[in-house]
Amino acid sequence: MHWYLWLTLFSLAVCLISCLYHFILLLRAGKPIDFSAPAGTTGNAIRYSFSGAMSPKKKESAYLHLPTYTAGIFYHIGTFLSIFLFFLFLFSFYPTGIIKWLLGGVLAVSSFSGLAILIKRILGKQLRSLSNPDDFISNLLVTGFQVLTLLSLFLDNVRPLYYIGVSLLLLYLPLGKLKHTVYFFAARYQLGYFYGWRGVWPPRKINNQSE
Amino acid sequence: MSDFNGEKMKKGLDPLEVNGNSRLLTHLNSCVHCGLCAESCVYYQVYGDERFVPAKKVDIVASIYRRYHTFSGKYFPWLTGARELNEATIEEMVDLLYGSCTMCDRCTVHCSIGVDIGYLVRTGRTMLANMGYVPATLQSTVNAAMTTGNNMSIPTQELVDTVQWLEEDLRFEVNDDNACIPLDQNDKDILYTLNPREPKFFPLSISAMAKVFYAAGESWSLSTRMYDVTNYAYFSGNNEEAREIARRLHDEMEIRGAKRCVLAECGHGSRSFRWEGPNYMGKEYPFETLTSVELLAEYIRIGKIKTDPEKNTERVTLHDPCNLVRSGGIVDEQRYILKHTVKDFVEMTPHGTDNLCCGGGGGQLSMSEYNERRMKIGGLKAEQIRKTGAKIVVTPCHNCVDQLIQINAAYKLGVQIKTLAEVVADALILENNKQ
Repeated sequence: MHWYLWLTLFSLAVCLISCLYHFILLLRAGKPIDFSAPAGTTGNAIRYSFSGAMSPKKKESAYLHLPTYTAGIFYHIGTFLSIFLFFLFLFSFYPTGIIKWLLGGVLAVSSFSGLAILIKRILGKQLRSLSNPDDFISNLLVTGFQVLTLLSLFLDNVRPLYYIGVSLLLLYLPLGKLKHTVYFFAARYQLGYFYGWRGVWPPRKINNQSE
Repeated sequence: MSDFNGEKMKKGLDPLEVNGNSRLLTHLNSCVHCGLCAESCVYYQVYGDERFVPAKKVDIVASIYRRYHTFSGKYFPWLTGARELNEATIEEMVDLLYGSCTMCDRCTVHCSIGVDIGYLVRTGRTMLANMGYVPATLQSTVNAAMTTGNNMSIPTQELVDTVQWLEEDLRFEVNDDNACIPLDQNDKDILYTLNPREPKFFPLSISAMAKVFYAAGESWSLSTRMYDVTNYAYFSGNNEEAREIARRLHDEMEIRGAKRCVLAECGHGSRSFRWEGPNYMGKEYPFETLTSVELLAEYIRIGKIKTDPEKNTERVTLHDPCNLVRSGGIVDEQRYILKHTVKDFVEMTPHGTDNLCCGGGGGQLSMSEYNERRMKIGGLKAEQIRKTGAKIVVTPCHNCVDQLIQINAAYKLGVQIKTLAEVVADALILENNKQ
């Protein structure tokens, strides 16, 4: 096996153990505790938190920023696709034919989206003021991951570089904001629980009961 | 700020201890700095200043957490912008967390990730409160409640006198010598609370609720010892004081033996007692707690009171108190009440859980050093009101009433500001022609 594959497997192990550590931290911190009398059901609200509440119609952060929101969606699709392909590549499975071109197309769009988000962060005064090196590094690593995945679909000789890029990403992921890979789901759960307990989510109506 | 030292720093960092607190651990680690929350904040909308982006408020708290609790923050603080808790950071925290946030939680609902931004702002305020950096104006309001039992330091006799003349007015209005505003009575169904602004500045809202209770034939009482629904320690971030204020009302409920604690029209008061209070105290309440908004809706729904919308013919709009709608789930009750009490109701845009804060939340009304900002962000609400063409603005929150009155004057809106109880009282149909 090539040295860069060993490096990648080592990085993957470090990344998974680190993510598992964060996950265990969350589990050890326990379920939310609330002594107030509940006004709603948390289960429904948690489901809503991951579905309706995420809808672009419901979130100003989406409907006021549709280009950025759309780019973000593509970017994340590209990331998940790249992760999927990473595992295929590890087992020496490389898509061919029309599938390869379709995947390449998606990755081209998602990489461009990531780059656009990065440029926005660099050029926008408001976003720049909010950013620290981690924000730029995270974007560069993930966008780079997608670009290298795209190139790996078509060029065999790019693979050492691909695995080095993947290794860097895997080693860096637990250090900065990329660990939202774990915490995003926890945040949606916590918010759903909080708003569900108080009867805010899912949105309800009393008018119908009373007429 | 020259008194900052190691001991204070330790107290300031205590609230960031995430062990056993999955909510805090989660939200401190979740923000990705996308900045898409900017427009959700009334301060950012008005000033366009990047300092006011909610993510900045999250970051100043989360960056301190990173500095002391994460590997990268401890060893490579430059990488993630991890910051030390020092005098410069504290100064910035005070301005961002007290001076440019009404804790309205609008940003939380709209956050692309789901970060509970309001919770982190409150955590940051707790850090500052632990170190003794609550703005003196806000702390004085808390101190008044702690030392006198109500945040306006109203002497008991003054309250009793006010209630007595309100009672006389009520008897005259309903033409019934038995109509009363009961004080300190035990074993009633309801112990009703007040916002101290009511006996001090807006006694007619007490009359209005008393008239509703009269019409409903309710078994109720006020307490002269502990009636204050507000809890400004919720705003200051001091959890010990918040717990003590909540405990007093809890104990009064137990002493009076009332079945239901009905919280007066006060957004943060409702939130701090109903939702936060049990958590401050670490135990469930043995009695039911509900807002007067829910009670009024219940009265109408079950036919305990009868109302006639024809009695309120002028155009009415509604300002939703942030703490009632976004953090309390009370969105449709007030609309249901207005549907049955006013003829011409028109919504603001946006409204409900999307409503804009009036600017009076988060303790802003008591922090005079931020008055200019408060009135400037109130311009957004003024514009919303103007667009409705309403003559009356109803809001079930006395802090909002106060801010809206000031907005009304500053922006020359020419509207009337009323509580929900006042509108209901105006629309009441009293039996036996007792009106």
